[in-house]
Amino acid sequence: MPRDVVSSALLSGDCAAWEAFVRQYGGLIVAAVRGVAPSHGDIEDLTQDVFVRLCKDDFRLLRSYDPARAGLSTWLTIVARSTARDALRRRRVEAVPLDAVAEARLAVAPVEPVERVKLPEALLSPRQREILGMLYDRDMDVAEIARALGIDPQTVRSAHHKAMLKLRAHFKAELG
Amino acid sequence: MRAGWSDRMVWRRSAATEAADDAAERFLDLAGFADETLDPDDRERVADWLARDPAAGADVAAARAHAAAPEGFPPLPDAVVARACALVAGRRQPDNIVAFPAWRGDRRRLHGLARWSSLAAAVAVAAWLGFALGTTTSRAYVVSQMPAAASFLGDLLDAQTSSVLPFDEGSQT
Repeated sequence: MPRDVVSSALLSGDCAAWEAFVRQYGGLIVAAVRGVAPSHGDIEDLTQDVFVRLCKDDFRLLRSYDPARAGLSTWLTIVARSTARDALRRRRVEAVPLDAVAEARLAVAPVEPVERVKLPEALLSPRQREILGMLYDRDMDVAEIARALGIDPQTVRSAHHKAMLKLRAHFKAELG
Repeated sequence: MRAGWSDRMVWRRSAATEAADDAAERFLDLAGFADETLDPDDRERVADWLARDPAAGADVAAARAHAAAPEGFPPLPDAVVARACALVAGRRQPDNIVAFPAWRGDRRRLHGLARWSSLAAAVAVAAWLGFALGTTTSRAYVVSQMPAAASFLGDLLDAQTSSVLPFDEGSQT
């Protein structure tokens, strides 16, 4: 799979590099936006929202792209669809006449609230969470867990090790 | 949480902590899942998340379809390109910050010099204060030891001419 690198000229705000990027990936972004809002009349506005998000705060989002983790086309499609969906949600709320909204609902945030999850859910696989829960919440030992899950004890140790690395990396600042 | 905390403590702490919504990380996870670049644990984690979030699942499917045909999209109209380019064209270029040359002197030597200089200044001030205080005290002592007659004579004699001042001077109205 080709690995696309976002050029440093683009990230430094070079107009020519940005135009080249827009021309190269604009069609893909429009297609991604259309996938979310096939009957929406403002595809151009939604596409512009994606470009705004990409270059906002000195290209903060574009800088977060990591070519080692995914192709640029794949990543841009995900970003474009998510941005278009958020924009549509905001516009839907903005477009409702004030009189039609019950007073109690006026306090609702314009963007749909993000589901809050606990850290293990966001960082660890279900298997890793299960193993750590058995080890530390139910005080089972490795052999018991291996028997209960029908896996090798070495697999239990390996899953535990990888999970702890992730959790410790998350708390690195606090752990010192 | 401090260093040396056990794995159990880290686990308990994580179970009580809410994950921050990190959109950038979320996009990379989904794109990595679509491109099948995640390790098995992360793949399992994202699959678990996709099972609960159909919109994210649709994003992954679309990304796979688009990645398979990256060149197959019509070019953008010039008006759309111009609008997007305006986002960057008006951007202020970062200022060229000229750094001062790094201090090449010996820092420890400078600190030592500053320490001894401040000590010398403190000694000089203390000596001057002591001298001034001693002089004042000495004068006050001499005046207090002066006989009353000498003091009275001083009042009678004109210091410039050494002649006796007239008695009625200063008493005229």
